[in-house]
Amino acid sequence: MAEPKVPVSEYGSMAGTRLQKGAVWRKVKWPVYHILVGALALLMLYPIIWMFFSSFKESRTIFTTATTLLPADWVWSNYVSGWKGIGGYSFGHYMWNSLVIVVLSTLGVVISSALIAFGFARLNFAGRNFWFGVMMVTLMLPHDVVLVPQYIIFTKLGWLNTINPIVIPQFFGAPFFIFLMVQFIRTIPKELDEAATIDGCGKFRLFIQIIMPLIKASLATAAIFSFYWRWEDLLGPVLYLNSPDKYTVSMGLKMFLDSESASNWGGMFAMSMVSLLPVILVFFLFQKHIVEGISSSGIKG
Amino acid sequence: MKMRKTVALATMVAILLLITACGNSGGGNASGGAQDGKTLRIAWWGSDARHEYTQKVIDLYKKQNPGVNIDIEYASFDDYWKKLAPQAAANQLPDIMQMDISYISQYAKNGQLEDLKPYIGSKIKLEDVSENVVSTGLIGGTQYGIPTGVNVLGFQYNPELLKKAGINEIPADWTWDDYKKMAMQAKEKGIYFDESMTADIFFNYFLRTKGHTLYNAEGTALGYEDDALFSEFFGTLSQMIKEGAAPSQETLSQNKGILEESTVVKGTGIGTWQWSNQFVALQKVADRPMALAPMLGPDMEKGIYMQPSMYWSIASSSQSKDEAAKFIDFWVNNEEANKLIKGERGVPISSKIKESVTPDLTEAEKQVFDFVSEMEPKASPMSPPPPVGSAEVIATLADYVEQINFGQTTPEEAAPKFRADANAILSNNQP
Amino acid sequence: MRNHSLKANLTGYAFISPFIIGFLAFTLIPMFISLYLSFTSYNLFSPPRWVGLDNFEKMFTGDPKYWNSVKVTLYYVFIGVPLRLTFALFVAMILNTGSKMIGTYRTIYYLPSIIGGSVAVSIMWRNIFSEQGIVNGLLMALGAAPVQWFGDPGAALSMLITLSVWQFGSSMLIFLAGLKNISPEMYEAASVDGAHPVRKFFSITLPLLSPIILFNLIMQTISAFMTFVPAYIISKGEGGPMDGTMLYSLYLFRQAFMFNNMGYASAMAWVMLIFIGVLTLILFKTSKMWVFYESEGGR
Repeated sequence: MAEPKVPVSEYGSMAGTRLQKGAVWRKVKWPVYHILVGALALLMLYPIIWMFFSSFKESRTIFTTATTLLPADWVWSNYVSGWKGIGGYSFGHYMWNSLVIVVLSTLGVVISSALIAFGFARLNFAGRNFWFGVMMVTLMLPHDVVLVPQYIIFTKLGWLNTINPIVIPQFFGAPFFIFLMVQFIRTIPKELDEAATIDGCGKFRLFIQIIMPLIKASLATAAIFSFYWRWEDLLGPVLYLNSPDKYTVSMGLKMFLDSESASNWGGMFAMSMVSLLPVILVFFLFQKHIVEGISSSGIKG
Repeated sequence: MKMRKTVALATMVAILLLITACGNSGGGNASGGAQDGKTLRIAWWGSDARHEYTQKVIDLYKKQNPGVNIDIEYASFDDYWKKLAPQAAANQLPDIMQMDISYISQYAKNGQLEDLKPYIGSKIKLEDVSENVVSTGLIGGTQYGIPTGVNVLGFQYNPELLKKAGINEIPADWTWDDYKKMAMQAKEKGIYFDESMTADIFFNYFLRTKGHTLYNAEGTALGYEDDALFSEFFGTLSQMIKEGAAPSQETLSQNKGILEESTVVKGTGIGTWQWSNQFVALQKVADRPMALAPMLGPDMEKGIYMQPSMYWSIASSSQSKDEAAKFIDFWVNNEEANKLIKGERGVPISSKIKESVTPDLTEAEKQVFDFVSEMEPKASPMSPPPPVGSAEVIATLADYVEQINFGQTTPEEAAPKFRADANAILSNNQP
Repeated sequence: MRNHSLKANLTGYAFISPFIIGFLAFTLIPMFISLYLSFTSYNLFSPPRWVGLDNFEKMFTGDPKYWNSVKVTLYYVFIGVPLRLTFALFVAMILNTGSKMIGTYRTIYYLPSIIGGSVAVSIMWRNIFSEQGIVNGLLMALGAAPVQWFGDPGAALSMLITLSVWQFGSSMLIFLAGLKNISPEMYEAASVDGAHPVRKFFSITLPLLSPIILFNLIMQTISAFMTFVPAYIISKGEGGPMDGTMLYSLYLFRQAFMFNNMGYASAMAWVMLIFIGVLTLILFKTSKMWVFYESEGGR
């Protein structure tokens, strides 16, 4: 059991304060805490755990045995049948398509957002506050309002059934990431730029050589979030991708769900798990970045 | 100084290049139709099984017609129309499209579909197809689609459970009264008789038996004016639910679209009302012997019709209409192809093909073919395809029926409201 | 001396130019098109036809389904967001201890938010609440009657709200970071004064956290108003039963892409935009009354 480095914050254990002085309480405090918090954590994860085990149940028995967690017989066939995908395209094909979209979008959005953020955070120019205000407003703009016209514009551009409508807008920065990075850059002491400028460093080199390395954390955060959002994006593919050859993971899953005839529940559960795998993997690898990124976005907002 | 700006500029250029580069990688050979006349785009909706065998049919076609390339596009029913509409607006429709009866009018009226008359006989051979069937593809006198196969409505049930409910068999000429009696009998034994009926399809059937139709011939309004028809039909259905002869609306909503959760599959209900081509999938999931019974009378003959399960249509913007027509001909007349299709898109329209695939059918598929053959001579001509705006009318009707079944309104109250709403939608959609 | 030299302006604009171009091309121009379309009848097939205020008139006076979607969305937002934030704050406070396990717990609690927007999770949710799903299994084990979660409009909406509360993670992280910024001395000082934990919560934690609460509140409210994927997947795009899960975005989507009523959908979008704008403004304006800002420069 983990030993606390500092005493439990008092406001964190409101229930316990009255007993705090008792020696018994001091002994059981941490185990009780961990049991309670751990139980809550388990409850949070239960749906995911349930889906995981269900994906090893036989399709037929998923519904009849929903209340028992462990499958009676472990079957792999769901993964085999699910991976086969739908209509001749394997699930791997959808994963690849998603990956292409994710990588291009992420690259685009991170680079452009960083450039823009640097402009807002460090450069002085006429109308900066105005544009920053505009950006903050777009951050809060409901996407619905541009949904229909964007759809019409992309249609007229002949971008239907291409990944352009999903990927290209990402190359013009995303307000959320810009905002995040501006917050980060603002925490870097200005003296650093001044020193660099005196050394004859131009703005662009300042950005590349001084600022970029210092905001790596927020770049990583933006990249991870971009990865998630593009990976899970459903609306873009639903609206813009027509041929199954180009379908993404979300579309692949949706096709399992839309069935006129008998559906392969086991396969769907199995592929749901597979589709979550990269997300969960990235999450556990980079969770520090994610937590920092999200945390700092709210501070001094 | 200068250098800095150059670097900045270079980055911009690099980014722009990246944008266009990825544009190309995504776009490239994408839409744009078939410019070289040898690449066809074909689109349909459906489920996994349909995608799979359709692909095989296409592969077969490609094998027999070297040099022809076919790009496929498919989606679920809902998504399909979402994707097709903007393509129509951009004049980028696929060369060959699967069309649904409730949408074909809209595409035909907007000049998106090719008149297929000139191709019939030369490119598309329909000698073995009955005139009644071919004519279901007529919209306002123009042949905008060729049926992929035909369906007929019926009651698909579990004979064993029927016996358990104390009913020996369903008579071929059963009526609404018989139905009510049987349903009550089943209910006494704690068995559901059916799962209610899909509002628009069966209301249309009911109206037809009474000499009306859901939409008028011009598609400008509903085809009936007597609200008593509405109250009678939906009154009966909601009564069934209230009595417990059909599952509650809660249960119906809960399990909508999940075959595994239907009462027939779970063995708690005797049967369900649906199109004949849905029988095979139902039987497969239920995994027990199933049977088909005709629709309810009186005047069943006036009500039933051979419905094209769906059509094949050719886009008027297509650059390869001849090639597209050839593919449709292949679909209709090729024996090998139809051995893959096996009536999944409705019973084949060519009598010759129907005969030649029969030996290869499974028991359930044979049942469907037999049922359709049995009904064919009794069926009346189809009403004109639903007009533009019908998708919204159907959704509106479904809403009212849900409200009735939930007890939030009565059939008598809903009837005039539905008629007003539907007529407003239909007149809104008039050009 | 002028503040901004030409060179400074050029450099500045060079850096933010992607944003400006993107803003014009993908936001501002589409917004104008959308505004124009909201006064037309447009079905993609034939050119837009000017109908004046017809769309708005229909929306406000002739479309009960519209009002239903407004009602459902307001329920979703005004029940879901406070629940989510309360839960997030609660968990953040529990986790704001020195235990070494906190990193793990934090990760676990945050995980649902990461995967929450995905189709996979919506599919999972659908099945958890299905007739024979685990939730009903649990209810029956407790001796309660099973609920038809998709069969009752209220139940279906509460299921959606549960899904949104389950994804409290990102708000929790932001709260957690905020809590870490409150210096322990403040609590110590309060303890010396004999303050009760509840008192400390209301007189120290809440005021100091209020800017963060405001931020979370605004961001979560806006994103709640725009919720689409869960309702779309869980109701299979129909918003049922009885339009119980017909969130505003879903109804808009159906009008636009199912029935091709692009004009009507655009009008709906503009009404939503204005509503959210006004709401945000109200939150900001009233925030002066309840948000406590630390003096500048504290970091």
